[in-house]
Amino acid sequence: MVGKYEIGAKAYLKAVLHAAKYKTCAVNGLLIGRVKGDGLDNFSLQILECVPLFHNHLALLPMLEVALLQVEEHFSTVDGGLQIVGYYHANERFDDFELNAVARKIGDHIIRYCPQAVILMLDHKQLAALPKSGSRKPVMQLYMRDVSRVWKQGGTTAELVFQDTTTNNLLEAYMADGRQRLVVDFDEHLDDISKDWMNRALFD
Amino acid sequence: MESAATRSHFEKLESKVDEGVGNVIEWLALVRRFKLRRSEKVTTHGCALLRDSSLRRKLGSEVWTVYEQVAIAAMDCQCLDVSKMCIEVLIAKFPNSARVGRLEGMLYEAKGQWQQAETKYQTLLELQPSDAFAYKRKVAIAKAQGNLGAAIEALKQYLDTFMADQEAWRELAEIYIALQKYSQAAFCYEELILMETANATWHLMYAEVQYTLGGLENLRIARKYYASAIKLSAGKNLRSLYGLCMCSAVLSQTKGRAKDEEGTELQSLASSVIMKKYKEKCPNKARLVTSFLEKQKL
Repeated sequence: MVGKYEIGAKAYLKAVLHAAKYKTCAVNGLLIGRVKGDGLDNFSLQILECVPLFHNHLALLPMLEVALLQVEEHFSTVDGGLQIVGYYHANERFDDFELNAVARKIGDHIIRYCPQAVILMLDHKQLAALPKSGSRKPVMQLYMRDVSRVWKQGGTTAELVFQDTTTNNLLEAYMADGRQRLVVDFDEHLDDISKDWMNRALFD
Repeated sequence: MESAATRSHFEKLESKVDEGVGNVIEWLALVRRFKLRRSEKVTTHGCALLRDSSLRRKLGSEVWTVYEQVAIAAMDCQCLDVSKMCIEVLIAKFPNSARVGRLEGMLYEAKGQWQQAETKYQTLLELQPSDAFAYKRKVAIAKAQGNLGAAIEALKQYLDTFMADQEAWRELAEIYIALQKYSQAAFCYEELILMETANATWHLMYAEVQYTLGGLENLRIARKYYASAIKLSAGKNLRSLYGLCMCSAVLSQTKGRAKDEEGTELQSLASSVIMKKYKEKCPNKARLVTSFLEKQKL
């Protein structure tokens, strides 16, 4: 499988700020965007938006299904029609880099609708080191599913790049500002219906 | 928190404290009372309080509780020097105290010195075999090392003796869920329902686990418990309303079964309650949710 993978600032910031808000929990969410090119070779996947989902009981099904259906329907009418193109996950422990079993299961489900879908695992160590490293790369590990249906790390041939190379600077500014407190995930929406899982006001 | 009024009072107080004009002593007491996790703020405001000798005098004997509170909060933020300082003050005041001993154990944990932490808790347990806290810290050590199997074993051993500890059953259920061991998680929620039959949360969690297990029988059980969660929460719990719709949608799609009228009626009722809530409190998503619910009915 050969493809290009790009992530827009909005999607990246929402995902990482979500993890930063719930430092003591595993969190997950959906990645939304579009794929140009049909097959599994020579395509371009753009991650343009993101919906933070849960910070509790990630492995339970019912509310995940509700979220998937609502997110899919909402974005099908946005920006000429966007689809779910992936899933992000941040493990609970700082030093845990394993591709979580729940992440794999959800990834397998999304692949049925988007054969080029990816899983992004948050790299906590890279995130913590960001102020010193000044890295211009996303603090995420990209996983793609190969023909034998095994999720593998993208490696050098399938690297995730920013659409805007200053995205990490923005992230640091937002985190210094404590913007993560304002991120709303689907869990919070279910507890308080007035909270907006689309996070429309987050970057105002 | 107890009520919307209490929550509102707390939030206002917290804003004032953040601005430097609020009553820190009252705020810290409320954080303790409601067992909130506000570690960064507790560390900042608590340290400032403890450095101020006139405020320390004002606290009276409560000062030791505040030292303990700040020690724990500082550990949560990895401000280990602050934590160490607070613990040393407490050791000087209360030498040979089991309660201070727990803090020493927790500090080892915060530093990742697992063996020393285990030894400390073992010592505490030898002096006081009914020290539930020390048992639970051992579970926390296993979890922190990523050893969920050991955490489960430790919890099961603990529950053999302390079988009425709801917090422990809940923790065990969550670990089972994380490992996708849903039947075992269901068992834990069954115990919780038996202990506290009128708590909607246990009914809801049981329903969620049964739905995840899947299969006709489990879906019927899920629907029953979503319904009881709705009843116990007086229709306020959105998750149980959604859950009921999802169950009914899957069950009604089953071929070769007699039309389940009661199920359809339940689904309609739940859907209309959901739609009413969205129209009142989240009108920008009302159309999306209406469309979603309509599709579930088909």
